[in-house]
Amino acid sequence: MAGSGRAQLRDGAEALLRVEDLVAEFPAGRKQVVHAVSSVSFDVAEGETLGIVGESGCGKSTVARSIIRLNPIRSGRVVYRGQNLAELEGEALRRVRPNLQMIFQDPISSLNPRRRVRDVIGEGLAVWGDDRGTWSRDRIDELMAAVGVDPRFGGRYPHQFSGGQCQRIGIARALALDPEVLICDEPVSALDVSIQAQILNLLQDMKCRYGLTVLFISHDLAVVKNVSDRIVVMYLGKVCEIGAADELYERPVHPYTRALLASIPDPAATVDVSEGDIGGELPSPVNPPEGCRFHTRCPRATELCRQTEPSMARVGDGDHFAACHHPVLVAAPAPR
Amino acid sequence: MNDRLMDAQIREGASRGDRYREGASRADRGREGAGRGDRPLLEVHDLRVRFPTPAGAVRAVDGVSFDLWPGQALGIVGESGSGKSVTARTLMNLLPRTARVDGDVLYEGRDVRALAAAGAKHFWGVEMTMVFQDPMTSLNPVKKVGEQIAEALRYHLGQSRGEALAEAADLLGQVGIPEPARRVGQYPHELSGGLRQRVVIAMALACRPRLLIADEPTTAVDVTVQKHLLDLLDRLRAEREMAMILITHDLGVAKGRTDDVAVMYAGRIVELADTVSLFADMRHPYTEALLRSIPRIDDPSGHRLDPIGGRPPDLIDPPRRCSFADRCRYAQRDCLEAVPEFAGLEGLHRFSCNHPAGTERGRAALAANQAAGRNAAGLSMTETREEIR
Repeated sequence: MAGSGRAQLRDGAEALLRVEDLVAEFPAGRKQVVHAVSSVSFDVAEGETLGIVGESGCGKSTVARSIIRLNPIRSGRVVYRGQNLAELEGEALRRVRPNLQMIFQDPISSLNPRRRVRDVIGEGLAVWGDDRGTWSRDRIDELMAAVGVDPRFGGRYPHQFSGGQCQRIGIARALALDPEVLICDEPVSALDVSIQAQILNLLQDMKCRYGLTVLFISHDLAVVKNVSDRIVVMYLGKVCEIGAADELYERPVHPYTRALLASIPDPAATVDVSEGDIGGELPSPVNPPEGCRFHTRCPRATELCRQTEPSMARVGDGDHFAACHHPVLVAAPAPR
Repeated sequence: MNDRLMDAQIREGASRGDRYREGASRADRGREGAGRGDRPLLEVHDLRVRFPTPAGAVRAVDGVSFDLWPGQALGIVGESGSGKSVTARTLMNLLPRTARVDGDVLYEGRDVRALAAAGAKHFWGVEMTMVFQDPMTSLNPVKKVGEQIAEALRYHLGQSRGEALAEAADLLGQVGIPEPARRVGQYPHELSGGLRQRVVIAMALACRPRLLIADEPTTAVDVTVQKHLLDLLDRLRAEREMAMILITHDLGVAKGRTDDVAVMYAGRIVELADTVSLFADMRHPYTEALLRSIPRIDDPSGHRLDPIGGRPPDLIDPPRRCSFADRCRYAQRDCLEAVPEFAGLEGLHRFSCNHPAGTERGRAALAANQAAGRNAAGLSMTETREEIR
């Protein structure tokens, strides 16, 4: 899986955020390097929700954090409204960041335990003012009400709220500066299933109400499908497959995407359960395999895969791309 | 007679008894249960666990009863705080000293809680073992994995170090770890999460237990690894005719890997049935609501989820009524007056509900609440937002 190449990028005009050949690496000691993200490209149109799915170590969180420069970018471009965020420094970076806000996985540890939730939500406003250059308690109360937390409890501390409520507060904080792009990194993974649905619906409501563009990262294939318009599947720092959510799950072509869909406990009907039996272990990102990075575990791998990295290519005639020398091309399944 | 000898005899006696057979219905098993030597492996009756706190006693488990037959896989499903892990820890005698336990737990007819008092050191870890959620914290980071597995064999079965290490390597092979002879000499940090959990499973299986309790065994691993681990547990269970209690929050995991499922809510089992009937004809509104709130892989993208309104009850001094009534779309006035009886309509599909889903009473209750706009406890039928305590 390799997934270099930019065939999947759409015409510049429609993309609000465009990631081109993003590379992020971290030192691992002894002059070794962790290749967390290796040449990843995708774009997000205005008003769209793009899901990124993959297992731990695939680089999905690093991509998200790189976009708002929470970790260093080795090379590549992150273009937001014509500006390359990868090159911004200092004041210019500070000025653009209110437009891109993030929600984190652990709702409790992402809130400062020593501050009242009203101050947690209002901190961005205190720094920037709202769009009229002023801010007030009313604005915070409005945000709290919008995310379903009673504004009367603004004076409480995070530990006085449940995990689900803390995540609502985290969402209110992210929305306070009226961002254009909301990046959600596993926002429901730490929540119980009955609360998960509440938060997913809330994100959907907030997206409509505030006209957000969303980047949604999760390891849970069903959750990602539920929220996303388009989905990127990643493996070991590379993109495997990109497509419209329904199309991708209906006709997955990359062997890794198919393995994921076959591995979930209640497997998708579009794949055979045996396709989930990919052998071996995830290779080390310090020393990723040559050629296609998935070849060590792929049931369809050939000599070509061991030597040459496949690039992204269009599948079918829609907005569906995969990086695979031997994609699984089957006719559409019969309607059930 | 020492413990080890007694345990060995019990085990032999049990192996002559009828095994749980896949395909045999619950009713058949109930009839077979009449003769001596064909009783459940584990009988849990009205188990109650309370933890004293300054604010009052937390009723973590509040009257749980179930039987487990030899070779049977029982899933316990529930959200955090439902009491599923406390139930498991009670069976394993792993509760803190402050816990107050009432009720009976019988293993092959022996009172397990009396065993605990008598200090039966070759019961837990031999007959009944447990796999925990996080493999990294359940392994000793400064000891080679082979030594950790050998420890159980040496302590419980009296094997020599050499014998035990050889068997440890054999066990690693059985749980599907490649190059077992090399892996026995490695430390936990040298293994991936999936391999570590296999090591934990090998440890739990070392003394050939007849009951394995797996508490969220795959929650900390990726889906492809999860599938491998669950396949492994299925295979080992069949090979060894081992019973299993699989505790999970993931209904999909329970659906594919168990014979029966118990759904827990607020310290009680609210629904218990064989897995096929439970998923085909769920009766308790909580089971139904839980299933409807989960995004499913076959639903189209953008499908609006149906969350459960409200939040779980406080377990300190909970009211003596249906614990789900505040969040239930079916709740009527009688739900607020007493805890509904745990009973069934037919067979051994039992649930604790006055107005079960999919029945005439349930449909009438739902229609009445929809007409009123709220349930008997005041929950809005349209408002799905979490309400503040």
